[in-house]
Amino acid sequence: MGAFRFMEILAWFRAIISFLIIIVIWQSIALLGLVPEKYFPSILAIAAGFRDMVISGELVSAELRTLSRALLGVASASLLGISLAVLGDLFPSFRRGFAPIAALIQPVPPAALVPMAVFMLGLGPKLYAFIVILVTVWPPYFNGVAALASVSDVQIRTGQMLGLSRWQILRQIKLPAAMPEIFAGIRYASSISLIAVVVAEMLAGHDGLGFLLIRKAFAIRIPEVYALMFVCAVNGLIMNTAVNGLRWRFAGWQLRMAGQAA
Amino acid sequence: MDVVLEARQLAKAYGVGRDALQVLGGISFSVGKGEFVSIVGPSGCGKTTLLFALAGLQKASTGTVTFNGRPVTAPPRGVAVVFQDYSRSLFPWKSNRDNVAFGMVRVEGLSSVQKRDKAQEMLEAVGLQGFEDKYPWQLSGGMQQRVAIARGLASQSELLLLDEPLAAVDAQTRADMQDLLLDLAMRFKQTCILVTHDVEEAVYMADRVVVLTRRPTVVDHEIAINLGKQRDQITTREDHRFLAARHDVMMSIRSSRTAAPATAA
Repeated sequence: MGAFRFMEILAWFRAIISFLIIIVIWQSIALLGLVPEKYFPSILAIAAGFRDMVISGELVSAELRTLSRALLGVASASLLGISLAVLGDLFPSFRRGFAPIAALIQPVPPAALVPMAVFMLGLGPKLYAFIVILVTVWPPYFNGVAALASVSDVQIRTGQMLGLSRWQILRQIKLPAAMPEIFAGIRYASSISLIAVVVAEMLAGHDGLGFLLIRKAFAIRIPEVYALMFVCAVNGLIMNTAVNGLRWRFAGWQLRMAGQAA
Repeated sequence: MDVVLEARQLAKAYGVGRDALQVLGGISFSVGKGEFVSIVGPSGCGKTTLLFALAGLQKASTGTVTFNGRPVTAPPRGVAVVFQDYSRSLFPWKSNRDNVAFGMVRVEGLSSVQKRDKAQEMLEAVGLQGFEDKYPWQLSGGMQQRVAIARGLASQSELLLLDEPLAAVDAQTRADMQDLLLDLAMRFKQTCILVTHDVEEAVYMADRVVVLTRRPTVVDHEIAINLGKQRDQITTREDHRFLAARHDVMMSIRSSRTAAPATAA
């Protein structure tokens, strides 16, 4: 396990180095005037814009709203996706009936849902819940269905020989076996969730990062726009860390197993 | 001797009509309490199909299996299987102790502490003390199969079905595991059925060998191995009775094979 900790620290170290390199390149481009400063402000100008928004309080409230929407969205979408996958595993006819519906809804981009969702659900939390869940539910669902279907026959027969019922086999064998793949889906879903929230806020919101971003862009406050883009990127990291923490709890064995093989 | 398991005219066909493949052609034999019976036959004779039918994992087309006098239609309580594919039969998210304790998941009247103690005892019986808190994937193949055997023993089953349990381990480990299995079977007075393609193993382990024919498979003959319960990898294998039994089984399997028309379908 010590080796894994070391690898993790190394990964963080590498991330910080990459980040520093990007900042250096950015600042050089800005200082050399390769791109008009109007569209490409220096790091210092972006930092000043960031500071102004923190002082005015608008950044913190927007960030809290967006992040909580995205987290709540991915959590409920994951629970729904896993439940649907379990239902599909228990009732194959449900899975077959649901497949064309899923295939039809899944490719719809979040932005395309916004106009009708606004008419039907107004501008409140229901709008966000609807849009985020509708676009985020699919990776956990599809990964769950595939993983539950591919649990080894030997494991299932072992459960049957031990006298377990179908439900017990699902609960005690198939779900734990499927967890690593489900979490790969949740990880993907968490970034989709963030995108969906920001898009919905941009198109129909009256608060949140997406709304603030549009407002700053229309006011031509370019450094602030860049600062907000940076905050969106950090949110991605926060979501990823949260999902990884849960993955350690529910599918950590697979990571330890892979760590040992490496 | 009390009969624990009995197969009567067990037949199994896959598919229907002209494409039907008759795998089992009416197999009958029985296993008594405390017996160690090997089932051996030519490749492709449906040993796994037979084992699944005995375990209640798969229905036979016709014929019956009875376990302690009751017909087997689903996996009955009191029958455990040790699968060949130990790495996929053990659960990688459970420690070795929890894997063994899981063998008692439906055993009533035992507290979780008692199950834990029993798991510990069984891990020690298969020589894995010190590996309780490790995970199966941290062990070698032979050790993983020991965990699976410990789980089978812990489930307090009257009958242990061994599905080519040693086919995937190396030759030296195999010899050690054969002796371990024999020792455990004696110590726990465990009734065992070993399904294998390895004739020497079948004869070395068993009180009686059931020799199968090629498809559609029936019992060719049975042969009692009168070598006593104590076996030894060197002296038993040199014993003229061992050699005679081995000769007998090998001849019968060879005649099955050479009698087989080219089955490239």
